Amino acid sequence: MEVQQKREGWDGQAEASLSLTPGSSIPICYHSQFGSHDDLLLLEVDDKLLPDVLGNRVSIRGQPDEDAVLCTLSSTYVMKFVRTSNSVFLIPPGDSIPTMKTTSANGEMSTSVVASAITVAPGNIELIQAAPKLDKLKELLSQKPYNLEEDLHGSSVHKAGLHRWQDLVEMIQASEEEIRAALMSLSAVEVDGYWRIVDDKTMYETLDMILRNSVLHDWQISALSEDCVLSTMEADGFPPWIVSHCLETHGSKVYGSNDTLWRLDEKRVCLRFALRVLSGGKMKLESFMDKWEQSIPSGMKADLKMLEGEVLYDKFGVEEWIRVFSVSTLPSNPANRFAALFRERQKWEWKDLEPYIRDIHVPGLSSEGLLIKYTRRTQPNAEAEPIFSSRYT
Amino acid sequence: MQIRLKCTCREEECREWSIIELQGVVESHPSLGEHLQNLEIGRLCCVSEGNYTFTVGYHELSGTKMALKKPLVVLKKKKVGDACESDSSDSSGVELEVIGIIRHRILFKTRPKALISKPLVKDKKNLNDLKS
Repeated sequence: MEVQQKREGWDGQAEASLSLTPGSSIPICYHSQFGSHDDLLLLEVDDKLLPDVLGNRVSIRGQPDEDAVLCTLSSTYVMKFVRTSNSVFLIPPGDSIPTMKTTSANGEMSTSVVASAITVAPGNIELIQAAPKLDKLKELLSQKPYNLEEDLHGSSVHKAGLHRWQDLVEMIQASEEEIRAALMSLSAVEVDGYWRIVDDKTMYETLDMILRNSVLHDWQISALSEDCVLSTMEADGFPPWIVSHCLETHGSKVYGSNDTLWRLDEKRVCLRFALRVLSGGKMKLESFMDKWEQSIPSGMKADLKMLEGEVLYDKFGVEEWIRVFSVSTLPSNPANRFAALFRERQKWEWKDLEPYIRDIHVPGLSSEGLLIKYTRRTQPNAEAEPIFSSRYT
Repeated sequence: MQIRLKCTCREEECREWSIIELQGVVESHPSLGEHLQNLEIGRLCCVSEGNYTFTVGYHELSGTKMALKKPLVVLKKKKVGDACESDSSDSSGVELEVIGIIRHRILFKTRPKALISKPLVKDKKNLNDLKS
């Protein structure tokens, strides 16, 4: 007799194969629907990940030409198919009522519990935690940075080249948390449902106008009233959201008061002005320092430490020159990052190199590990500074 | 594009599959071709707690049941054809559903032992008896 099959139930009696007591035995048969079943996949899942997999909090992301990654809400894993040369017989579970099957293996009719294999698995998929692939995010958002001209000429912005959150999730091989963190570090902002980065000129002009207004209206830049700033700036033609975004990018909220107050951060403000001064190209260090100190708000002090990871120094004879070289323009992928750094300069001292690699995080690889993997370290003598060059010449 | 991993069962309810793993290939008689369905592969016998034999034809394999270091989840690929069936975030039209979990396997690593039939030669004592 045969028990009515459930929708998916193959009734393979796996339990019977696992719960045999000493001295007992069962036949293992090819299931009546035995075949290649290419639609079945075995995925190796750590016990830590299992709740997310079973809790519908996991998805696989990638374009058809990319290697698939598996993403939880906070982490990214590369999926690797590992083949086996063994014969792995897969036995599905039984239905709730134990089936009495007839076997005709040797022509005899007997009724007994039988476990049946539905297929032989060619291998399984392993998950290896990986750094999220965020370079595409930078690329996508750089297609159409926001600038003030957009709003001045009305909202006739073509939606092509603009991306919503859901578009980003579909296209970027990273978990949602990792994408959000990357958006924050890019100082991206969501406008009308689209995620945008704001171009440097617009950020500078907005900040500059806030500061001019502070002087004009005698505002304290350590305690700017959000309402005041927004309304004043709106009268000057700056949309409120760009002003908010500027405050958020260059300052922090001051809590503990009834109004929303913002304190501008010295480092971030000075950096913005430094980049503006250098926007014309490299400068002699002395000239740069003069211009920079003149441009920053009174009460703030310019310090070269603020420019780590944003500028490089070159010595031409006795003169030292400074130019923009921003870590944010470099690839996030470690191999590509080091390649870009060594293209810029063949040899690096640690103090110059460190700011350009401190944001690289690869699961399972320490910063020493990164250096060993991608650089060659030389030290002429014990007193000299170690020099890092490319591992691959 | 995104493919969601769907699971309608909770951890406690996830149906457990089993694996019988052999180092080698089970060969069927060439005349059977691909028509293996319902035929017996072999007989699995529990010898003692955790220890098993698997008899295929006249070969006997010895093996043990072991817990997998990391459980395997059984996924079934499904086409999401119906527009109203698919999630808004299921742009690929494909869905993977968790249909089971594997926590143990019975692995046979030994060389197959050939089971020979009863010896034809009687022992000397009996032979002598017969003779005389």
